[in-house]
Amino acid sequence: MSHHCLTQTKIGKKYLVALTGLGLSLFVLMHMLGNLLILVSPEAYNKYGHALTSNPGIYLAEVGLVAILFVHLALAMKLTRENWKARPVGYAVVSSGEKATSLTTRSMWAQGILIFVFIIHHLITFKFGPHYEVEYGGVMMRDLHRLVIEVFQNPLYVAWYLVALFALAFHLSHGVKSSIQTLGIHHPRYFNKFKMAGILYSVLVGVGFMSQPLYVFLIYKG
Amino acid sequence: MATIKLDAKSPTGPIENRWEKHKFDLKLVNPANKRKFTIIVVGTGLAGGSAAASLAELGYNVKAFCIQDSPRRAHSIAAQGGINAAKNYQNDGDSIYRLFYDTVKGGDFRARESNVYRLAQVSTQIIDHCVAIGVPFAREYGGMLDNRSFGGAQVSRTFYARGQTGQQLLLGAYSSMMRQVQEKQVKLYHRREMLDLVLVDGVARGITVRNLTTGEIESHAGDAVVLATGGYGNVFFLSTNAKASNVTASWRCHKKGALFGNPCFTQIHPTCIPVSGDYQSKLTLMSESLRNDGRVWVPKNKGDQRPPSQIPDSERDYYLERIYPSFGNLVPRDVASRQAKFRVDEGRGVGTTGIAVYLDFRDAIQRLGKGVVAEKYGNLFQMYDKITGEDPYETPMRIYPAVHYTMGGLWVDYNLQSTVPGLHVLGEANFSDHGANRLGASALMQGLADGFFVIPYTIGHFLASTPLPKVDENHEAFRASKAEVTQRLSRLLGIKGGHTVDEFHRELGKLMWEYVGMSRTKEGLQKARGEIGKLRDRFWQEVRVAGEANFKNAELEKACRVADFLELGELMAQDAQERNESCGGHFREEYQTPENEAMRDDANYCHVAAWQYQQEGGRMQWTLHKEPLQFEYVKLSTRSYK
Amino acid sequence: MGGASKSKLNLKLKLWRQKNAKDKGYFMDYDVKGISTEASFLEMLDVVNEELVKKGEEPVEFDHDCREGICGMCSLVINGNPHGPDGATTTCQLHMRRFKDGDSVTVEPFRAGAFPVVRDLVVDRSALDRVIQAGGFVSTATGTAQDANCLPVPKDKADRAFLAAACIGCGACVAACKNASASLFVGAKVAHLALLPQGEAEREKRALAMVHQMDAEGFGGCTNTGACAAACPKEISLEHIAILNREFLKASLLER
Repeated sequence: MSHHCLTQTKIGKKYLVALTGLGLSLFVLMHMLGNLLILVSPEAYNKYGHALTSNPGIYLAEVGLVAILFVHLALAMKLTRENWKARPVGYAVVSSGEKATSLTTRSMWAQGILIFVFIIHHLITFKFGPHYEVEYGGVMMRDLHRLVIEVFQNPLYVAWYLVALFALAFHLSHGVKSSIQTLGIHHPRYFNKFKMAGILYSVLVGVGFMSQPLYVFLIYKG
Repeated sequence: MATIKLDAKSPTGPIENRWEKHKFDLKLVNPANKRKFTIIVVGTGLAGGSAAASLAELGYNVKAFCIQDSPRRAHSIAAQGGINAAKNYQNDGDSIYRLFYDTVKGGDFRARESNVYRLAQVSTQIIDHCVAIGVPFAREYGGMLDNRSFGGAQVSRTFYARGQTGQQLLLGAYSSMMRQVQEKQVKLYHRREMLDLVLVDGVARGITVRNLTTGEIESHAGDAVVLATGGYGNVFFLSTNAKASNVTASWRCHKKGALFGNPCFTQIHPTCIPVSGDYQSKLTLMSESLRNDGRVWVPKNKGDQRPPSQIPDSERDYYLERIYPSFGNLVPRDVASRQAKFRVDEGRGVGTTGIAVYLDFRDAIQRLGKGVVAEKYGNLFQMYDKITGEDPYETPMRIYPAVHYTMGGLWVDYNLQSTVPGLHVLGEANFSDHGANRLGASALMQGLADGFFVIPYTIGHFLASTPLPKVDENHEAFRASKAEVTQRLSRLLGIKGGHTVDEFHRELGKLMWEYVGMSRTKEGLQKARGEIGKLRDRFWQEVRVAGEANFKNAELEKACRVADFLELGELMAQDAQERNESCGGHFREEYQTPENEAMRDDANYCHVAAWQYQQEGGRMQWTLHKEPLQFEYVKLSTRSYK
Repeated sequence: MGGASKSKLNLKLKLWRQKNAKDKGYFMDYDVKGISTEASFLEMLDVVNEELVKKGEEPVEFDHDCREGICGMCSLVINGNPHGPDGATTTCQLHMRRFKDGDSVTVEPFRAGAFPVVRDLVVDRSALDRVIQAGGFVSTATGTAQDANCLPVPKDKADRAFLAAACIGCGACVAACKNASASLFVGAKVAHLALLPQGEAEREKRALAMVHQMDAEGFGGCTNTGACAAACPKEISLEHIAILNREFLKASLLER
């Protein structure tokens, strides 16, 4: 009996979804922390962006990120399809008591799709959006701050951004603790702590990200 | 029908050497030849599952038949308390001889000494093997196996896994059998019910079964048949047996010539949850192990309606401790059951129906703390709470005896072979080891002893010493059996009367409980025989069996079983009437001491009653054959638990 | 106390009827009257069936056997809940005192691709047997064992193994899971034997074989919703799935 290819099994695929998910979770945390610089000053915000993009390692990181995202997405989609196939007929009555399955976990796939659409849109808007320039201490760099301020004047865009971030937060609230469980880390003494940590993490990332459009739209006066 | 000579094939000589000597005298099948034999195992509980596993390990081809959707559901799973073994791990004076002695005495001297000694001998191997296959028995902090005490013994020799010992042992036997299914050494047939035994030249060569999913009638041929289909307590309708437990497989063998041993020996378990209404479909047992810490009592005053907590100790009668100071609450089951019945008959029963006694944990909780009590009995307390809506930590359990186990069964010799050559019978389905009363934690022991450590030796002897010409499912005998079974099913479906199968079953149960239950009289038994016969006639005219034969049809399944219970019930009454003594679970009111204890008659009834079925002029008749019992080691004496 | 508060219920039952695996199946409504609150859910169905038989109709098929919560034969999804609304309960232990007069009760079979419907509320769960058959055992032949106390097992490990081994194989975990995953069932068996020294020799082989069989039977993957553990009548915890995951990971990474 030889099996070898881990990803032939559903558990194997799930490991990779969990690992890539945790990687992406770390990425969104870093991204969110960088965004918070908008509260400091335009200069800090732009200098941080410049430091990232001017580093030659950025290409490697971007390729890596895209690959991780792709693996996460592709395997999750494959698993979801397999899982739907495993339960071809659903129940007429959906449980509402203590045996119910939460909406968050039931809609992970939908959140995932929404987040993916958002990422594409987000990249088009910002990464590949209008290229303003600004100079700090003789160094020319992209004025991302200006673009952000412009974009977040549109209430529709802000609303869409918030919806997507809610989805991200929900996705993380299940995803982080679920990934830990998938990797086989579970101890009754720490289980609830991990669960809480996952929720805190998602709240932290979600609120952190939301602070930016809300700050710009409601507070920032130019 | 040929006359039958009962040869128990019991070895002679010193009892401790008998099994060893017998094993040496048995013929062997050489390893290469084993694969040429096919053995049919009917029933996959502890006895059948362990037999299928160990026979397959030896290299025989095994066909295993299971009535449920999986072998893991067999009713062995519901045994709660534990399994006895003479390990003497507790250093409290246990030995093989003592387990043998306790079992013979507990059975009120109505079992074969040779069989019981062998059972005690292999008990230790059972524990070794079960631990080795991963059964998670309870352990002490040092990592060694833990034991507890059980009724009818003064040593702690019971191995247990919380209140789920039967489950853990069954799953162990099941896993061993499933390993052999994977090895293709066992072919498993689930949702099959045996409806006939097929004889070719007088030898059991196969079975006819109904595929319960499709309704198809199937034939299966082999070189020997091993029956491990459990007991027949459901003849009482209400019992602690699972709903599918039935006598049909045994009964069909009986009608094909296998003698039925001691049919009237029924065990009434003292600690069951009482009946609450007419809709009641079964009774639930509360493990005997509860009597280790629970105290049984009733109010001293008749008709005392106060809640138990308001009855002071001075007004409680802890009657088992009072009457049996040395065994107290741990007297054997038959004794505890009868005493509960006496209290209720005196009008001192408790609860809304007045048909119950208390089993109280107040003192144990005070002594050990709630945590320790929960650790020991948590799942039983939870089970009680779910069924009754009452919390046993707060209020005493209400318990009452219920039919639990049948010591009687198909007669077998020392090789576990019935009077039909090739038909071997294991576990509760045979009559062998428990005499007139089974001690707690001994059923699991016997089932596994038969399956793991007896049948693998004795069946080889049968196969090696019997000419077995090739027979397959096209043989005339199989076709005849199939036709007979099909005809019987269509007859049942064709009656289309006005009463359901359950109505007849309930009525039979009431007759059995009233006249063939905890205490019996000559007149009552006579009446029962007549009434059961009348009920049976009505059944065949007035029953309504819904549905058809060609799909899953629970009503038809039940109808076949109840039809056989209606015949068995009559034989049980006849056997009880024939046995003019009281012994173990068989209590005849005419034969009791002034203190209401069972009074045996060893001069006239120290035998196994083995009944031969005959059909004479359209009427069923039974002829009694007697296998005399000799007691060379345990002296015949009156049991005393005082 | 002591059943003093006995009363009767009338219910509107909606039961799934299906002739066989190929039939489409449908819901049928039944008005049930005068059910005692002390009766069990299955006893209520018995009453319904007796009435149907007397009316000349076909009774509803459902699986059951021990009726004391240990054999794992009973199933049913009651108002969306496998084994009914209560935790740590099998359908046979569910009592009618849990319902109110006039309640609507919908009863469906366990739903999973790996559990085809046999008839009405009866499903075929033999896929679980085949998963056990793939590796849920210790390969020790009868007669070879050493003395049971030769190998001490720490009490806490023995207790944990017992908790895992308490699984009754009813399949409620599969029925509850939106993916019809059998991970809790398989995790319980893998954990039971991984915790005991007796299971050590086949530890890796077992995890691999059982996981592959689980997939082959068409069970879905685990997405850690926790529905299985909530529905488990024996309260087998999610920890067992984590154990399965790490046993399988270790085994597949080290496999030669």
